Amino acid sequence: MKLVKSLLLVGSLLLGTAHAAPGDFLVSTDWLEKNINDPKLRLIEVSVNPGQFERGHIQGAVNFTWHTDLVDPVKRDIVSQPNFEKLLRDAGVSNDSTVVLYGDTNNWFAAWGAWVFDTYGVKNVKLLDGGRKKWEAENRPLVAVAKVPAAGNVKVQPANKALRARLADVVAVAEKKSNVALVDIRSADEYSGKVFAPAGVQELAIRAGHVPGAVNVPWGQAVAADGTFKPVEELKKIYAAVGIDGSKPVITYCRIGERSSHTWFALKKLLGYDVRNYDGSWTEYGNAVGVPINNPAGTVWGGK
Amino acid sequence: MAALAVPPARRLAVSATVVAAVVLFSHHLGGIAEGGRELALSALFGLAFGIFLQRSRFCFFCVSRDFIEQRDARGLLGIVAALAIGIVGYHLVFGAFLPVPTPGRLPPQAHIGPLSWVLAAGAFSFGIGMALSGSCISAHLYRLGEGSTASPFALLGALVGFALGFASWNDLYLSGIQQAPVVWLPHHFGYAGSVALQLVVLAIIAIGLWRWHRQPDAVAAKGGAWERRWPAYVGGLLVGFLGVLSYFRLGPLGVTAELGSIARTAASTTGWLPDRLEGLDTFSGCATVIKQTLWSDNGVFILSLVLGSLAAAVFAGDFKPRLPRLPEIGRALAGGVLMGWGAMVALGCTVGTMLSGIMAGAASGWVFGLFLFGGLWLGWQARRKLDWG
Repeated sequence: MKLVKSLLLVGSLLLGTAHAAPGDFLVSTDWLEKNINDPKLRLIEVSVNPGQFERGHIQGAVNFTWHTDLVDPVKRDIVSQPNFEKLLRDAGVSNDSTVVLYGDTNNWFAAWGAWVFDTYGVKNVKLLDGGRKKWEAENRPLVAVAKVPAAGNVKVQPANKALRARLADVVAVAEKKSNVALVDIRSADEYSGKVFAPAGVQELAIRAGHVPGAVNVPWGQAVAADGTFKPVEELKKIYAAVGIDGSKPVITYCRIGERSSHTWFALKKLLGYDVRNYDGSWTEYGNAVGVPINNPAGTVWGGK
Repeated sequence: MAALAVPPARRLAVSATVVAAVVLFSHHLGGIAEGGRELALSALFGLAFGIFLQRSRFCFFCVSRDFIEQRDARGLLGIVAALAIGIVGYHLVFGAFLPVPTPGRLPPQAHIGPLSWVLAAGAFSFGIGMALSGSCISAHLYRLGEGSTASPFALLGALVGFALGFASWNDLYLSGIQQAPVVWLPHHFGYAGSVALQLVVLAIIAIGLWRWHRQPDAVAAKGGAWERRWPAYVGGLLVGFLGVLSYFRLGPLGVTAELGSIARTAASTTGWLPDRLEGLDTFSGCATVIKQTLWSDNGVFILSLVLGSLAAAVFAGDFKPRLPRLPEIGRALAGGVLMGWGAMVALGCTVGTMLSGIMAGAASGWVFGLFLFGGLWLGWQARRKLDWG
């Protein structure tokens, strides 16, 4: 056993990374700066705050606006297959490209982007570990001049429904008709129903609380102080402590479905579990008629 | 000829101390973990803006009055100069930020507002208000630094006006703003076309102003070179450059966001405002959010503007506080209310919606300017006919 461990360790070191799996889905700021001129690299920023990209982005990056580029605004759905393919081709993505996504606020929406890329079967998609936060903290260079890349030729696949949970899937868990684990990544006060949503947000549900059976692991527990994902072993422990150990399928959710992609990424890509993202999230579930909720704080329709 | 008089040591010392205080304040802000760099830069930009406004008397009402009463066009030409520099600079930056002005996309944070009758009404109200109170909001801020004792009343009135604006916002939004088009000239003419069109319009305005211009009788220059005001075009060019730099690094120049935030926060806590202000937070402009932190970029900018003006005024011997007369207080308060309401419903004022908007190629900036001067003229007439101060 000791020999096997030693061989694994040596193997890992030879590969230059402690774990093979994260290396497939994360790149470091160092790696990115060294490979920034690789013609096969396509760098895409998905930030929440307007003006971030324009005032300064990593050289060669293309900007995706999450609430117009990555969604279908009419159907409250993810972007359609033809529109996504066009978006990627306009961004210069080809079938042999390596796509690196990054963004502000700890890669929340870059991770959402990664989920959309995965849903449409795009290969070689990675996140910049630590996102803008780490890149800026390390005083690495930003440029303000955005370039229009030559069109790419990527072909995207039909949406893979296995990566996405719908309301019915979550209701089935709440009613104990399905053996799936639920991870609620919102703050403890949202989870308990003390607040309907964080201050200042527009998207609300009429009821507060959480899906019965869901465990609460706020997304921030998955990241280190510098914004990078915590090491795999640590992540495993954090989720195992609330019973999420990969032994059964998992569904992640938040309020509108974007931050939960961050935890989806950690569980699915870094830990290799079977995970779906519920992008309807609490704004859909908390407003749905005839579904059970768990509300320890006892708030009722905002009129406690 | 007056000697190249350096201000007395006492004035120099006060002025240097104020500038040093702002620089130290900026340094302190730079240490704040989230957004510290932006706060620090806001403080320095505010300092520069305050100095430029004070030294070049960059006051929209004052220079308009110079023209209306004496046909002295130099001040208005200074504003034209600021706009020309700003238009070229903004469009150069846009080309870097958004290589192609694609329909449906607007440059980040640029003050490009909806074109509606509400914008016209807001600008008109603002124009009357600045004529009554004697300055627009930015000029009241720099005049605070000169020791103007009427300006606090105008700013107080503006806070009340903002609160009235918030209270009327939902009705105005639903009846006039929600369906209004947002017209960004580069969408229709490209970057080059937008620059060319606006520069031609400015050139026509400048030629018109120059034809009407009458040089006022020469007055013997008082004091040394340090005490003389900078020519208006120098102020205009500096303000234009500062506007571009500010847009590039932080956001468009604007002076009402913080006032609006204070009014909104105060009115919200009293429960006087509607719970939801429909659509307001989706517009760029001097957007006014509920205050959640002590220091906002705009708050720091305003504070430093006032201090910059104070330093410049003391330095040049322009710091002259005096007690305001009662009619002045009344005019300042009433004018302030009209300006506050106008700035709120028009999403900004002379600096935010007009100056920054026109620089950004926003049709809303031009409309604001047109109705602003209409209101200003009417307010000036009223003030003159009523012999009101």
